Amino acid sequence: MLTKSAAKAFFLGGTALCGVAFLLLTMDTLKAMPERSNQEQMSEQVVRGHHIWNKNNCMGCHTLMGEGAYYAPELTKVVERRGEVYIDDLLRDPSRYTQDGRQMVKYDIFNPDEVGEEVSAGHRADIIAFLAWVGRIDTNGFPADPDMAVDTSRQPTPVTAAVLAEAPKQMGTCFGCHSVQGGGGTVGPALDGVSSRLDRDYLIKWISDPQSVKPGTTMPNLGIKGEDMDTIIQYLETL
Amino acid sequence: MKYKTQKIAYWFFAACMLLFSLQLVYGFILGFARMGFDNLHELIPFNTARAVHTNLLVVWLLTGFMGSAYYIIPEESEREIWMPKLAWIQLISLLLVGVVAVVGYHFNHWEGRKFLEIPRELDYLVVVNVLTFLLIIFMTIWTGKRKTTTAMVLFFGLLMSALLYLPGMIDFDNVTFDSFFRWWVVHLWVEGVWELIMGAILSFLLIKLTGIDREVIEKWLYVIVGFTFLSGILGTGHHYYYTGAPRYWLMVGGVFSALEPLAFLGMAMYALSMARRGGRKNPNRIALMWTLGCAIMSFVGAGFLGFAHTLPGVNMWTHGTLVTAMHGHMAFWGAYAMIVLAMISYALPQLTGRAMHKHWMAEWGFWLSNIGMVCMTGAFGVMGVAQVYMERKAGMDFMHVQESLEVHAFGLVCAGALLTLGMVFFIKNFISYGLPVMDESAGAVTSNPVPAAPDKSL
Repeated sequence: MLTKSAAKAFFLGGTALCGVAFLLLTMDTLKAMPERSNQEQMSEQVVRGHHIWNKNNCMGCHTLMGEGAYYAPELTKVVERRGEVYIDDLLRDPSRYTQDGRQMVKYDIFNPDEVGEEVSAGHRADIIAFLAWVGRIDTNGFPADPDMAVDTSRQPTPVTAAVLAEAPKQMGTCFGCHSVQGGGGTVGPALDGVSSRLDRDYLIKWISDPQSVKPGTTMPNLGIKGEDMDTIIQYLETL
Repeated sequence: MKYKTQKIAYWFFAACMLLFSLQLVYGFILGFARMGFDNLHELIPFNTARAVHTNLLVVWLLTGFMGSAYYIIPEESEREIWMPKLAWIQLISLLLVGVVAVVGYHFNHWEGRKFLEIPRELDYLVVVNVLTFLLIIFMTIWTGKRKTTTAMVLFFGLLMSALLYLPGMIDFDNVTFDSFFRWWVVHLWVEGVWELIMGAILSFLLIKLTGIDREVIEKWLYVIVGFTFLSGILGTGHHYYYTGAPRYWLMVGGVFSALEPLAFLGMAMYALSMARRGGRKNPNRIALMWTLGCAIMSFVGAGFLGFAHTLPGVNMWTHGTLVTAMHGHMAFWGAYAMIVLAMISYALPQLTGRAMHKHWMAEWGFWLSNIGMVCMTGAFGVMGVAQVYMERKAGMDFMHVQESLEVHAFGLVCAGALLTLGMVFFIKNFISYGLPVMDESAGAVTSNPVPAAPDKSL
């Protein structure tokens, strides 16, 4: 059975071991961080910006490298995302941007009406330089790009009136999945120029029995034949 | 209360109640702002309210630890507190520094480093104050009749807390260094040395409340704090994933933080099994409820919910979202708020000689505040996970996402109201105990205030 002195030895030994390992890793980290953070690019302006960041407790609302208060946006890559002009203009008077929503404190140091155009522009340039520098720190990939983002370029859009006017009524179903001149569905490929890519026989075979051409395709067999097929092929050849 | 000077603890606990009440008020300001009612924006913007909210927490917990130490150390060392007058000065100066700091936050006077916003000149006063406290405790232990494991672990925890405050005072131009050493303070406090303090208070309470042999309890205390440091020290790595430190921290932090719940699980199992094995039926049931509640809630909040977002692959998405607030609230409540409230619940009948722990308010205070905190954690969890999926995973605009979360912030505020109601009962109960017995001629009462109190276990 475990004795009290063995338990004590476990505590002291484990703590010492982990403490030493932690200190060694710390020493290595301190050596690596200047390069990972591009410290040589850390100009006086960046340091002044860092000072402004600390002095006004910006992380009391924002997050930087994920650290802060989750009340205002993450700013690690903000310069890349919004650009300097946007940030500079916002900081002059944030209320013009926030309107009825969540407010940002209107800081005098950024406000030309309070400290003059030149001084306030200097402060804004400092904080932007700081944020731009932070954006280049190697953060092991944080923040990750959204991996479930909806690809808006692949959203179905209505077929334009001009296209509809030209198309025969038999094409109605096709536009549910295919597009012409940018309008229509996105499940199948766009039909613009299809007749220059595929010949007439292939198209007829494909439309009348898609599975025999490409097993497993999502293109349905809609039982199109005869006159309907001719109308559709004729139309496709105009594209 | 065996020793007259223990009564100083009462005033530390009273200060805790005051500071905690204020913390709740600022919590509501934050909650309403998240609901879209940031009406105090001009006067108390979010960053001010937040700094006050978190700093009051730190200050009241430290005040509670100090009060606990002033209560525990005389009984463990079997002597009066060394220079009790100095302890009074220490309490008053601590509160003064705290109040000045908090008032300063309303005038943009702070350092923008989360949890450590106290401006530099006040940092020095905090250091002097804590050194004074440590000197008093050290001298009391040193000149005492015995040196128990519980007292030594408590002292070691307090000493290390003071030492670890210092890295937070180093100035860096490079923000990655700022962040790196800020966690030396914050992480190594709450997931390291504060757990020593918690473990020591827990073992003191278990010795008193269950009557189990000190040797058994203290042996397991060593095992628990051993696991704490084994996982917690290198577990600091989970703060270094994405803040400019090398990539190996993803592995080091990931592996060791995954072990952290084990320390908390051990703590919970230890407290529960000791309570089961305890032969003595202590009349102060409410103190035992807080003690066991602390062990369990700290496992859920700090251990389990911490683990829930500490793996690097998960943390890449949850880092810097309200998921952190979910974990943070229940972790601080379970591990540290509850241990201080347990200590207060145990000590008050002893200090005042009144058996108000049997009052219904004590019990309702326990249940309402805990249910409130569970609901609050749920509300933060819903907001956090929704934020992760909408903002981080799907790439929606931050502000649009936050607006859609306002309805959940209403749930958050309701849960906060429940917790506050519980604390109103707790504090009313606290007040109903009255002041500690000051009159020395009433020594008969002070020496054994509650007839069935387990004071003779020593």
